[in-house]
Amino acid sequence: MSMVKFEKIKRPEKIGLPFMLDFYPLQDEKYTRTSQFFKNLKEGHLTTTKCKKCGELLWPPRVICSNCHSEKLEWFDLGTEGELYAFTEIRLGAPIGFVEDVPFCIGIVRIGGLLISARIDGAKYEDLKIGDKVNLKIVELPDSRVFYRFSRNKEQKLPIP
Amino acid sequence: MRQVAIVAGGEAKAGRRAASWRDLVQEAGKALFEDVDNLSPKDVDSIFVGAAQPERFAFLSYVAPLVAEHIGVTPRKVIARTELACVSGQAAIRYAWNCVATGMSDIAVAIGVEKMYQPDMAEAQTTMTCVLDREWDGVNCFSAPPIFAVTAQRHMYEFGTTKEQMALVSVKNHHYSSLNPIAHLQKEVTVEAVLKSPMVAPPLNLFDCCPMTDGSAGVILVPAEEAKKYTDTPMYLIGSGQYAVGNVINNLANLAEWAPLKLAAKEAYRTAKITKDDVDIAEVHDCFTISEIMEYEGLGFCETGKGGKFIEDGKPYIGGKVAVNPSGGIMGCGHPLGATSIYHTFEILKQFRGDVDMGRYVKGAEIGIQHSLSGAANQHSILVCSRELR
Ligand SMILES: [Zn+2]
Repeated sequence: MSMVKFEKIKRPEKIGLPFMLDFYPLQDEKYTRTSQFFKNLKEGHLTTTKCKKCGELLWPPRVICSNCHSEKLEWFDLGTEGELYAFTEIRLGAPIGFVEDVPFCIGIVRIGGLLISARIDGAKYEDLKIGDKVNLKIVELPDSRVFYRFSRNKEQKLPIP
Repeated sequence: MRQVAIVAGGEAKAGRRAASWRDLVQEAGKALFEDVDNLSPKDVDSIFVGAAQPERFAFLSYVAPLVAEHIGVTPRKVIARTELACVSGQAAIRYAWNCVATGMSDIAVAIGVEKMYQPDMAEAQTTMTCVLDREWDGVNCFSAPPIFAVTAQRHMYEFGTTKEQMALVSVKNHHYSSLNPIAHLQKEVTVEAVLKSPMVAPPLNLFDCCPMTDGSAGVILVPAEEAKKYTDTPMYLIGSGQYAVGNVINNLANLAEWAPLKLAAKEAYRTAKITKDDVDIAEVHDCFTISEIMEYEGLGFCETGKGGKFIEDGKPYIGGKVAVNPSGGIMGCGHPLGATSIYHTFEILKQFRGDVDMGRYVKGAEIGIQHSLSGAANQHSILVCSRELR
């Protein structure tokens, strides 16, 4: 038997979700120059930056136009109704923070001339088809950050089983 | 510029390994130097380490000196880690190639490694979900399976590709990997088994997806004129193409047609002075079954939209039009991100040497291409390898 001393030491039992493992972007003006995007979202508007010089619509929002490097950008409202371009449903392999939501639909929505990815709420995979109309929806996180999602347009009847 | 040859390769057994990140790279390093005559680790002047996400998978940054230390290399010309997600390994080869070609290095190692199995697999999924633009696409859970799921959906919608055609890719590649002793998965599958496997992200079933894999592989590059000093059977790098379009989903070229692949292929064939018809072996990035179908199209082996028919007709099998993934591909061998392209490059060298199971041997092959893609398939890289110097 070795005479070397053994000692049990303490470690934190659990480390909380560190900020940089959180998927939602930091939105406060202390951390980003595009905090206006999130302010607009809080007021119900999905916007992005448009270059005043060359007219390029930039997604995601920028501080400098990637086309002509102008800093003269304006906020452009993308509207509230989009069309489903493609979609799937997360059934296995969700990342930390989303495991509890499984299964859920995500998709690519054609809106305001862009193709942006988003959660698609209020529908199962089987309910959806390419070309479906979807409406903008805003979600608020417990720490009052916001993000956009879409939900299936209610006027479309769900298929009768 | 000097012409450049690969004179040796080495690899760790790929799979769900009871081994750490640094264990894997030591195994590949040992195998690498056992594969070459008259060359020891101390002769190597440069090293490039392909590692996609060591910060998250192994909680290590600054990994190039760590790897050099472990495999006994003392870099004195160029040393760096290369990161390009799933193409990190080919990036390492490209950098090593450039350094040897320009004369900056005389003997360079490109070695890739990834350790993907960890106690909490949700953490591994989290890690990979930050490959796509985390704040705008990752946040919506667009990691690899979902982005290739919507890609498959659009390909099916626009061209009528079927689930059965996609399943045939899995059947073919599992067949070849069953004959490859270093492969992660060594069991054959049937179309029915693919279609009945659990749904990951529709339309992709589990067997439409590559597995999570631990692995490491390396190659040694020297000037072509020196190659025969080290081996009787070198492999020459004769061409390459690489092209990227956009990054966030909105800025991709088109989901159902990979424009950057077509451009990279055109450049690879032009620089190698070959045509698509000269390709005997194509080790391509079959991270999902749909990927390989779209690669038949993007590499010019068939028309756009006809990839499903191409495999239905048996064209990408050994003995068909072109042998696609005779190693078993990513689907069968696994996808340790930073090492994948290097496994596939070494596979082409083993094929040229005739050093593979006869059931997956491409007899008389002269030209092999190694293709890798990354992100939302917005970036494609191709190396053209030749058995003879040309
Ligand atoms: Zn502009």
